[in-house]
Amino acid sequence: MQERKLDEGGPAADLPGCASADLQRRRWLRAVSAAPLVAGMAAPPAKAAMKTNARIVIAGSGLGGIAVASRLMQQLDGASVTIIDARQKHYYQPGFTLVATGVWPVDKVIDPTADFIPAGVKWIPEMVAEFDPAANVVLTSGGQRIAYDYLVVATGLQLDYAQIEGMDVAAIGRNGLASVYASPEAAVATWTALDTFRRKGGQALMTLPSGPLKCAGAPLKMTFMVADRLQQTGTLANSRIDFHTGLPTDTVFGVKVVNDDVLARWKALGIHNHYLSKLVAVDPGARKATFATPEGQRETLGYDFLHVVPPMRAPDVVKKSDLAWKEGGFAPGGWLEVDKGTLQHRRYKNVFGIGDINGTPRGKTAATVKKSAPLVVRNLLQVIAGQEPDARFDGYTSCPLIVREGSAMLIEFDYDGKLTPSLPMIEPLQESYLAWLMKVRMLKPAYVSVLKGRV
Amino acid sequence: MYEIWLMLNIVWESLLAAWLLVLVLLFVFAGLTLAALSRRGAAWRAAWPVALGGAALVGVLSFLALPGLTLSSLGELKYWVDWLALVGLAGGFSLVTAALLWPLTALLKRQPN
Repeated sequence: MQERKLDEGGPAADLPGCASADLQRRRWLRAVSAAPLVAGMAAPPAKAAMKTNARIVIAGSGLGGIAVASRLMQQLDGASVTIIDARQKHYYQPGFTLVATGVWPVDKVIDPTADFIPAGVKWIPEMVAEFDPAANVVLTSGGQRIAYDYLVVATGLQLDYAQIEGMDVAAIGRNGLASVYASPEAAVATWTALDTFRRKGGQALMTLPSGPLKCAGAPLKMTFMVADRLQQTGTLANSRIDFHTGLPTDTVFGVKVVNDDVLARWKALGIHNHYLSKLVAVDPGARKATFATPEGQRETLGYDFLHVVPPMRAPDVVKKSDLAWKEGGFAPGGWLEVDKGTLQHRRYKNVFGIGDINGTPRGKTAATVKKSAPLVVRNLLQVIAGQEPDARFDGYTSCPLIVREGSAMLIEFDYDGKLTPSLPMIEPLQESYLAWLMKVRMLKPAYVSVLKGRV
Repeated sequence: MYEIWLMLNIVWESLLAAWLLVLVLLFVFAGLTLAALSRRGAAWRAAWPVALGGAALVGVLSFLALPGLTLSSLGELKYWVDWLALVGLAGGFSLVTAALLWPLTALLKRQPN
């Protein structure tokens, strides 16, 4: 295998398919976006960049990977920062539920990855094929052997649709089959299925597996929005919505006060809950879904609309590596073995994790990345300087929980499930226009600021 | 402090997403202001009531229309934080209107030499 020199140029500037006028416009916009915010407004206090010739590899170009890369470029002088990821498109995943419920057009959630790769970062457009943390080496799908001094794992997670017998992602959108998570295309197809379903109404089956989940609020938002779309078209009265979850009785969300509030709202909407009932098989052609209890009892139900939420786990490349948890609750999913406070790997001290891949108690959301990216960078810089990392993550995460079109609740909480509103006047369980406005208008600009390493 | 910084970044990124419109408005504002400043007799003081009136009208219209334009409704404003946010947004539109109307009206109302 060939070892790639980390000072080789990345491919961001010569992507195929980019018209030169478009490239010029994007370069101009990138230059402007890097400028001070407004006249007279001070940039964040400038710190002297740390001089180092460290080789830092970031596996993944999602929000976590790019946010960390942006901050490293701001705070290091002389380091070589490399992102490894083949994905040419960057997805704004928090917008998937808006696309899947007909609120947003799909183009709002897709951007070229090249637009967000920070200047000076080398981008290798291949996937990580193998982590060898003992040798401080990453092998890529193209056969390159990339040596590093420090590694940030930001691969995201794997949607394990394969655990659901008969599930075909390509069939989403037809015969009432829906699933918001798979891709922007699946989100569009989900809206097609929901739009068709709401005209006549009928039987809706909503699902939620047990186990770690990215954006654990999404299955709840989808359920609220299915009820709302039926209500808007006047077909709620002749419809039935059943929510099947693999979680224990009276549990649909990990934070008790929010959980109880959601259950009360669903009761008022006439939504029926079924606990310890896990989706195990689907027959899209026949519109049949099979659920199983932990004891193995199976029940097959017909549906007019089925929203599938797949079980989630670490990608194989992490799960099969020595970076994964070897024992405990995170081991079966193969999640990254990081300390939940410092987000440093528990055994390989030159490795950090950020985002969905982390084997930590909660928080697989963009909000978690927003709060943890500065912390990961601070701790990484301390390790580079030969010190112990001292910043500790509290597990902050946030969920603008849509309760219907036009209204949402802004819920923020930490590892302990304690509500932690950013602003004291925000009432987490208060349905609100502002929370809706934040979801549909303000969170993507905030997300882009995180990508650029500014907030 | 962090929340203020975050909000400023949200505003900046939102403006950047609508950069063409922002650029046009800035050029119009600059053009009108320079034209009014460079001509004798521009009626700056007399233009104030018109600018304020226009701004107030746009503010009220924005207040009423913004919830609908963001796929919500006035009925979804449930507590004072919602009302404050809407007033702030409508105030922003008022400010832009005043900034454009003031030099424009000052030009139109200028005294002939």
